Amino acid sequence: MSHDHHNPIDHPEVQLASAGGYLFAYAFGLGAMLLGLWMVLNHTLTPVGLTTAVSVIALVSVIVQLYFLFKLDLSSTQIWHTVSIVMTAPLFVMAVGLTIWMFHTLMQRTMIPLPGMGM
Amino acid sequence: MSSHATAPVDPNNVVLWDYEDHGHDFIGTRSIGFWLYMMSDAMIFAGLFAAHGVYVHNFAGSFTANEVIHPINALWPTLFIFTSVLIYGFGMVALKKGSRSGVINALLLSFILGVGFLLMEYREFSELAAMGAVPQVSGFLSDFWVIVLTHAAHVFFGLIWMAVMIVQIMTNGFTQNNVYRLINLKLFWHFQAIIWVCVFTFVYLMGGI
Repeated sequence: MSHDHHNPIDHPEVQLASAGGYLFAYAFGLGAMLLGLWMVLNHTLTPVGLTTAVSVIALVSVIVQLYFLFKLDLSSTQIWHTVSIVMTAPLFVMAVGLTIWMFHTLMQRTMIPLPGMGM
Repeated sequence: MSSHATAPVDPNNVVLWDYEDHGHDFIGTRSIGFWLYMMSDAMIFAGLFAAHGVYVHNFAGSFTANEVIHPINALWPTLFIFTSVLIYGFGMVALKKGSRSGVINALLLSFILGVGFLLMEYREFSELAAMGAVPQVSGFLSDFWVIVLTHAAHVFFGLIWMAVMIVQIMTNGFTQNNVYRLINLKLFWHFQAIIWVCVFTFVYLMGGI
């Protein structure tokens, strides 16, 4: 490694830190989780409605945290971080979604329907 | 990289090579490398969440999700992990200002809150063990223990890393090595908050529906 020319603190990834952004992510994340908890405890919707609602809340909360905690944007400092998560997210969704779909339809797809076994 | 080739070139004074070794972006390459590791770590959780979707109704005639999971109890660990992440963020702001005591204090507080998180989980799972809801009882319980405790294991190793960083900053200060380690630990620690959002929502909240 070559000798230091710069103070490492001047590196753009250090300079990304922002107290306001972290506070916003904290307040938003906590608020979203409290909202989800309140909805579940009070049975505000039908089970399917609740499942959808808390999933949407979690998704929004994750996106807000990704942006405000990691500063994922298209700036020259961060673009490869952003590209890598854009590449990973579909793998994540497919791994979870396809596995669950596969197992929940396994019976219909593999078993010969027996008489009287309503499908 | 640089593009100041617009000025006319004086052939008598042209410099054909750079005598100084600028090196590569030491901090940037390590941060993107660790970020790629975090992406693969996310895929571990993808596997666990997929297993959760499959096993969540496999009670084997034993405890159901409603009997084991109490979403309100998960609120305390949520508060601890989110606050720990926030304080770590303030530590990064202190780093930006070059304040050594600020970084060390933030790391210490973040560490203590992380320990609080683990103690909460320890209490929850020792209660489960006391009532006989251990992993070998059913597919659902195996999945529940593994998914929550995998996250807890991440927090545990993050705490070890944090303790090491406190010592390294005390002894060496903000060297290039310590700064990239702080950035990578930030990626790791903040990632735990994001995974916890998913665990809280898809395991605890949905277990309470």
